[in-house]
Amino acid sequence: MTAVPARSSEWVRPVTSQEPASVIIEIDHVSQVFQTSARKDHVALSDISLTIEEGAFVSILGPSGCGKSTLLYIVGGFVSPTSGAAKMKGQAITGPGPDRGPVFQEFALFPWKTVLGNVMYGPCQQGVRAAEAEAQSRALIEMVGLKGYENFYPKELSGGMKQRVALARTLAYHPEVLLMDEPFGALDAHTRTRLQNDLLNIWERDRKTVLFVTHSVDEAVFLSDKVVMMSKSPGRIREVIDIDLPRPRRRNELLLDPRYQKYVVDIERMFDESDEAGPAL
Amino acid sequence: MMSPATLLRRAAPVLACIGLLAVWQFASLVLKNDSFPTAIEAIRAIPDILGDKESLINILASLRRMALGFGVAVLVSIPLGLLMGRSRSVAAFFNPLLMVIYPVPKAALMPIIMLWLGVGDVTKTLVIFLGVSLPVIYHSFEGAKAVEEKMLWSGAAMGLSPAQRLVRIVLPAALPEILTGCRTGLVLALITMITSEMIARQSGAGNILFNALDMGQYDTVFAMIIIVGAMGICFDAIFERVRARLVRWSEPQFDLPLSFS
Ligand SMILES: Nc1ncnc2c1ncn2[C@@H]1O[C@H](COP(=O)(O)OP(=O)(O)O)[C@@H](O)[C@H]1O
Ligand SMILES: [Mg+2]
Repeated sequence: MTAVPARSSEWVRPVTSQEPASVIIEIDHVSQVFQTSARKDHVALSDISLTIEEGAFVSILGPSGCGKSTLLYIVGGFVSPTSGAAKMKGQAITGPGPDRGPVFQEFALFPWKTVLGNVMYGPCQQGVRAAEAEAQSRALIEMVGLKGYENFYPKELSGGMKQRVALARTLAYHPEVLLMDEPFGALDAHTRTRLQNDLLNIWERDRKTVLFVTHSVDEAVFLSDKVVMMSKSPGRIREVIDIDLPRPRRRNELLLDPRYQKYVVDIERMFDESDEAGPAL
Repeated sequence: MMSPATLLRRAAPVLACIGLLAVWQFASLVLKNDSFPTAIEAIRAIPDILGDKESLINILASLRRMALGFGVAVLVSIPLGLLMGRSRSVAAFFNPLLMVIYPVPKAALMPIIMLWLGVGDVTKTLVIFLGVSLPVIYHSFEGAKAVEEKMLWSGAAMGLSPAQRLVRIVLPAALPEILTGCRTGLVLALITMITSEMIARQSGAGNILFNALDMGQYDTVFAMIIIVGAMGICFDAIFERVRARLVRWSEPQFDLPLSFS
């Protein structure tokens, strides 16, 4: 565990009022308890504190059921925490807003809208003129590699294409933070790799803040500046690891890079250790 | 040129109708019952009915009530069903009410409604309204309930208010289900239209039918049955065209999704 160049203490810290200006999201002692019907309450998140700096690509990594999605939903404002608070630029998050754009594993496209209609939806809602929204949306569709599919309905697209549309739809209304919940989790390995590459290329252009939930160690290390490792029952932050790998990252170079390999191996080892310590999954 | 399979598929409904009429003709000739005219006799009586001004006025009056009852029912039931599907408290309030009304044949309520509102158009239209409402509410409710939460969240993140989400996400997302309910409702509108006129005779297609029955004009009775049946088929076919057009997006154009990675 000591082998990992972690600077976690710096990251898991109580939120103070004098945060540097670059902090965009603060999660302050957030807990989430679900009332499961018959049995006793289920603690999905226990006292989570985390700050995310503007422009950072941060992954939340952990086994399924550790509360990753719940944490992301709290930041999105879709779920309000049982206790504690999440803040965006110092303002308490009380609900969803266009400053935080979600991309879900289930795509959640509007099936009655074409690709173009889906992507234009956000800008039009924000009052952008139709012609302008359309031009921007067409450019975005091209950027995510779907030129020529503008008039297709979601039903006619493969999973990878749907997720590209979902990403374009969210980027279209210019959220300051992207909230991605296992966006590539439902895709086959090949498609997943391609989308990871494309996401990195897109991200490296404008460096939006990204909060990215995944249970894949490779994916987290490949994409992120920081990896927040969570453990389950109750959901806690176990470790926060800085990924000190050069950008722009190229997959073929990175896979051969011993530093990358070391991050992956070390993180996997840490999960193995916690599995042995905790109850069997 | 159409392939034989396509030709057969196109011709199938016509063949079915001809077959049915042939069986009818044959059965009627064998049974030789006064109250069971042959298919040909019944068909011969159709022009007499449709050529008669009085009968046409009756049938048009029926259709007007049906259209009004159906239209108002759809306009009221869709919003109600959608609200019930998205709000537990609205559902908790209306569900017991609807569960009480659901199994009651709407025509059975007619005598009471007649006492309050008379035997005129209002009563009959109200009965049609009740008959149509329940399936439309039910299907709108189910459709709204099934709308993916993440879709609503995506809308909320774009800045849609709860009311906007109901109209601009729940409504279109539930549309295929809603239209299934409307299709059932349309058939029920026709059924309740006729039964309402059976109970409150005064005007309408049902009135022609049951008067003819009273007077023993069995060819007219069966001709009216054919006319009502044909109206049912036409309405359903027209509705189905509209429906298919509105929810084209939910039926894939291709058998398989395009491959792409
Ligand atoms: N709405 C809910 N009601 C009850 N339990 C929930 C609800 N949402 C999540 N949970 C529970 O909380 C835990 C964390 O869920 P989730 O955030 O989806 O985990 P992850 O995304 O890491 O797999 C799980 O045990 C899950 O069953
Ligand atoms: Mg999850």
